[in-house]
Amino acid sequence: MKKNFGILGILLVVFIATAIGNPNFLTAYNMFNLLERASLYGIIGIGVAFVIITGGIDLSIGSLIGLVATLLPFIVVQQSFPLAVGLFAIFALSLCVGLTHGVLITRLKLQPFVVTLCGLMIYRGIARWIVSDKTMGYGNETFSGLKVMVGNLSQLPGMSGFSWAKHIPVAFLILLVLGVIASVFLNKTIYGRYLLALGRNEQAARFSGINTSVMIIIAYVICSVISGFGGLLFALDYGSIQPDSFGNFYELYAIAAAVLGGCSLRGGEGSIFGIILGAALMRLLMNSISMLGIDDQLEPAVIGIVILIGVMVDELVKRFAARRRAVKQAKVTTALPEVDA
Amino acid sequence: MNLLDNSPLLIVESVTKRFPGVTALNNVCLSLAKGEVLALIGENGAGKSTLMKILAGVQMPDEGSIRVNGCPVRLDSVQTAQANGIALIHQELNLSGNLSIGDNIFLGREPLRSGLIDKKKIHIEAQSFLTLVGLDVSADVLVDSLSIGQQQLVEIARALSVDAKILIMDEPTSSLSQHETERLMEVVKDLRGRGVSVIYISHRLGEVQELADRVTVFRDGKNAGDLVRDEMNHDRMVQLMVGRDISQFYVRSPHDAGDVVLEVKDLQTAANPGCYLNFSVRTREIVGVAGLVGAGRTELFEVLFGVQPALSGRVMVDGREVSLRSPRDAIDAGIALVPEDRKQQGIILEMTVRMNIGLAGLRQHKKKAGFLNATQEADDTSAMIERLKIKTPDAGQVVQYLSGGNQQKVVLGKWLSIAPRILLLDEPTRGIDVGAKQEIYGLMDELAKKGVSILFVSSEMEEILGMSDRTLVMHEGQITGQLVRDELSEERVMQLATGNVAMGTH
Amino acid sequence: MSSTLSRTALMVAMPLLCLLLSGCSQNSSDNPEADARPKVAYITNGIASFWTFAEKGAKDAAQEFNADVNIQMPANGVEDQKRICQDLLAQGIDGIAISPIDPDNQGDLLTEIGQRTNMITHDSDAPGSERLCYIGMDNYTAGRMCGELVKEAMPEGGSVMIFVGRLGQANSRLRRQGVIDELLDREPDENRYDEPSAGVIKGEKYTILDTRTDGFDFGKAKAQAQDAVAKYDDLGCMVGLFAYNPPLMLDAVREAGKVGKIKIVAFDEHDRSLQAINDKEIYGTVVQNPYKYGYESVRVLAGLARGDSSVIPENKILYIPARQIRNDNVAAFQAELQRLLSTEESEGTTNVVSEPAGDESP
Repeated sequence: MKKNFGILGILLVVFIATAIGNPNFLTAYNMFNLLERASLYGIIGIGVAFVIITGGIDLSIGSLIGLVATLLPFIVVQQSFPLAVGLFAIFALSLCVGLTHGVLITRLKLQPFVVTLCGLMIYRGIARWIVSDKTMGYGNETFSGLKVMVGNLSQLPGMSGFSWAKHIPVAFLILLVLGVIASVFLNKTIYGRYLLALGRNEQAARFSGINTSVMIIIAYVICSVISGFGGLLFALDYGSIQPDSFGNFYELYAIAAAVLGGCSLRGGEGSIFGIILGAALMRLLMNSISMLGIDDQLEPAVIGIVILIGVMVDELVKRFAARRRAVKQAKVTTALPEVDA
Repeated sequence: MNLLDNSPLLIVESVTKRFPGVTALNNVCLSLAKGEVLALIGENGAGKSTLMKILAGVQMPDEGSIRVNGCPVRLDSVQTAQANGIALIHQELNLSGNLSIGDNIFLGREPLRSGLIDKKKIHIEAQSFLTLVGLDVSADVLVDSLSIGQQQLVEIARALSVDAKILIMDEPTSSLSQHETERLMEVVKDLRGRGVSVIYISHRLGEVQELADRVTVFRDGKNAGDLVRDEMNHDRMVQLMVGRDISQFYVRSPHDAGDVVLEVKDLQTAANPGCYLNFSVRTREIVGVAGLVGAGRTELFEVLFGVQPALSGRVMVDGREVSLRSPRDAIDAGIALVPEDRKQQGIILEMTVRMNIGLAGLRQHKKKAGFLNATQEADDTSAMIERLKIKTPDAGQVVQYLSGGNQQKVVLGKWLSIAPRILLLDEPTRGIDVGAKQEIYGLMDELAKKGVSILFVSSEMEEILGMSDRTLVMHEGQITGQLVRDELSEERVMQLATGNVAMGTH
Repeated sequence: MSSTLSRTALMVAMPLLCLLLSGCSQNSSDNPEADARPKVAYITNGIASFWTFAEKGAKDAAQEFNADVNIQMPANGVEDQKRICQDLLAQGIDGIAISPIDPDNQGDLLTEIGQRTNMITHDSDAPGSERLCYIGMDNYTAGRMCGELVKEAMPEGGSVMIFVGRLGQANSRLRRQGVIDELLDREPDENRYDEPSAGVIKGEKYTILDTRTDGFDFGKAKAQAQDAVAKYDDLGCMVGLFAYNPPLMLDAVREAGKVGKIKIVAFDEHDRSLQAINDKEIYGTVVQNPYKYGYESVRVLAGLARGDSSVIPENKILYIPARQIRNDNVAAFQAELQRLLSTEESEGTTNVVSEPAGDESP
């Protein structure tokens, strides 16, 4: 948590600045929207974090989201299968995608960048081909039950009595649950430790008796399944799916959130809390830019600059810490021989 | 030695270097005559590398002066150091494997002809430097295809090509086999004959004794003493380094070897498919594996630890055949490996002492549903820190900030926490200071007494002679002989290691 | 070490301070009158030169009717459109004119807007929503007008390819259907829809080979045009239904050396399309009046914000008729556009001209 101070600071500064700049920023309506967007992107950020921790990357997230979002209405509305079949199909598909990535990367020793870059193109192409580029919609009655997931808490059973509940998106609850599970998995189970270890040094991890291939495959499966689930949420939220563009760049948003949140692309490092903060910061920035009336065209540039600053601060803080530790260490090593003698 | 004249070529006077919280060098002095080979020895952290960095222009001293040829110099960059004729050959070689020998020698100062690299000139000049260091290879050969020893010679050739008068060699033989070491020492002697001065840093006291005209010993950043040729002997050097008498450096008590634990039958490795290996290790036994680099020792360990599959043959533990398809299988069979490449294979540098020690035991100690057993991990770690005397501020220290010896102890701690039956040690004391070495020898002895079977690979003859109950000697993939303690001698080992060709070591 | 930290802090603070200041200045510049001026938004369905005319119209109307207009062009589809609308609603807005990208499936968003402010649709309608009014063209009729141009360009019949950005929007579907129905001489029926995946549609004289969509990706749009030219030897006419399609189609035809052989019929008033009509490389185009969309949208929203509901016609549709432009009337049309953009253009030109003039004077 300590290493997320930098990004937390930036988040607070932007938040306060925007609140001062435009009082409407703090309205319940805007906060709800912001929380919901941050949650959706946070969810896919958690997915990609697993892969980044192994030192890999998944560029296919956006396309997988597009494919999943396109497939569900295709199966359920156009082909008139029951909703359960559709849901099963998209989760099974996500799982297979992750499995394929993992197997190609560990068994065939292909580079994750290459494998998932090909995935990016393949899934997009399949999504467009299946529905011949037709826009898919979630307006159908069948999906109204699922839409609770992108509604507010008061729509959940037994929650209608609480007035505050309608100001909290259900997606935020999903993010929290997922975040806690992911955090526990990463920090409290031996499998999480395996992932962190192999991300730092796969060879040493394997030499310590860890089945690194299986762990890497699991990481890709987790990433794809969470992406698939995230895709479903995005689709329910936006309602309208253009197979050729839905989910474009989401992988980069997710990767940026993970990096902002303290994941190293070299692997072995990452905190779930940081990733959630990273995703929140990016959504907050977009919101702030329109709230403060900054030229819309500048938006990508502002986001890029802030990510760069975040990463720079992170690096400087790390160096500072390393220097302090070196000093401390030097004291210890000089002290110890004396104790010995 | 006959070229010594009165005024020293290099004088280091009262140099002090402080880092935040530590004085790395405290008033150290050193002198080097023309054509002299000066050995600089000391435990890790004694300040040898700091002084070398100062001489090579990488760091500046806080106090004190350096004189070359009597003139005070300010070595504020590698370039000025080179201009003063000082060149440093790092322990980790700095060569680009994808370039040719010639390209490496002239890297950064390629001769040009009409704006393009003059390949012909590179070839001719590089070849002459290669002849100088006795490397009989074409300058067009890629560095990757050379052995470590040959690469070392290329480094020396590069230093000579910039007209170095003072050559600093930082543990040049640590990755070389006996044979390559001898070759290197010949080259150093030859350089001395040509008037080049050499500062030779080494942990191998045998080499020092053979090569050096004089020894300077550092301890805790200070001069601990100088020995001239006549005064040099092993015990004297060790005593100066560690600052106390060492009656017996190699800790060995008689082992009463018991039943066969590990038995290898007709094992064929991918590295040496023409060879079939047969041997066994008993309980309470330390078996050394000697041989030159490339004799197939590390490859044998990799097969025994499940890293590489065997082509054929059987490995039996307690008489039962085990299938070793991964390190995990080996660990389950009670086999543990302390690898030669510690930083790549032994530890995870960026993780803490606790996480590293806990790594092997995670699976055995896990709680329900795969949850970490944090208490067990903490207990194991503090037990190991105490038992192995790991010098670390606390269990949460990141391993990369520990010294090589303590890192090696972390690797050992990782395995001891799951109590292996068979311990494979590949160059267990490489790059480790004398004090830690002795502790590791003590540990090997203690473990053997407690019933662990130990198989260790070493390129240091003294270590093989000092530690093994029985020695397997390998040559080109084949086990060429087994020597029990009574038959063990340096000559015998070298004969077998070089394929029965009768030759001495001197 | 503390200097490192303070430097770091400064580096973080600087851009954020800029953000903050720009936000404050925006607010502080509001004059007391501002509250009386309705704040309305005009949201397009993407970024295209077409919308610059609408922008001009919206700005002109804002000036005329004493309103502030916020013009937003979502770069990234439905998601962007949703985010922009929600952010505007959060800021507080007196009315939104939107060209919904996918009216059928954006129901939730449209409801959200409708509940919070006055909402009208422009360019593309969402009849099922709570929109107070639709301002735009009858796309089906415009499509048929486009079909007429194809007939004129290729009176003896032949094969036709249709290129369009997206088919999700009602307007592009209707346009396309209009073209097809006209070529097949069907009775007008806005509810008819030929699936693009159904393949070749064969009429007596005209055959529609295919409809290609590019999702606003210009590179892809051009590649598709090139592929079509390469694939069909007997291709007679290409119809581009979105403003950027025809110039890219023309590039493809030029590169293949088939200018004149393959006729091109355009939609909208892209500069290059008009120039090509002048040069007789494109047969003709059907133009909407985007300036009027912007202008009328702001006029209606400003009126509604002031409580004047008379700005809305009874059938809640304000049709802005389309026109056919051919070689004979293109020059007049270009002049008209020039005049529309004149204020903006003249500002730009005076700036550019005045600087060198200043250099010359001494």
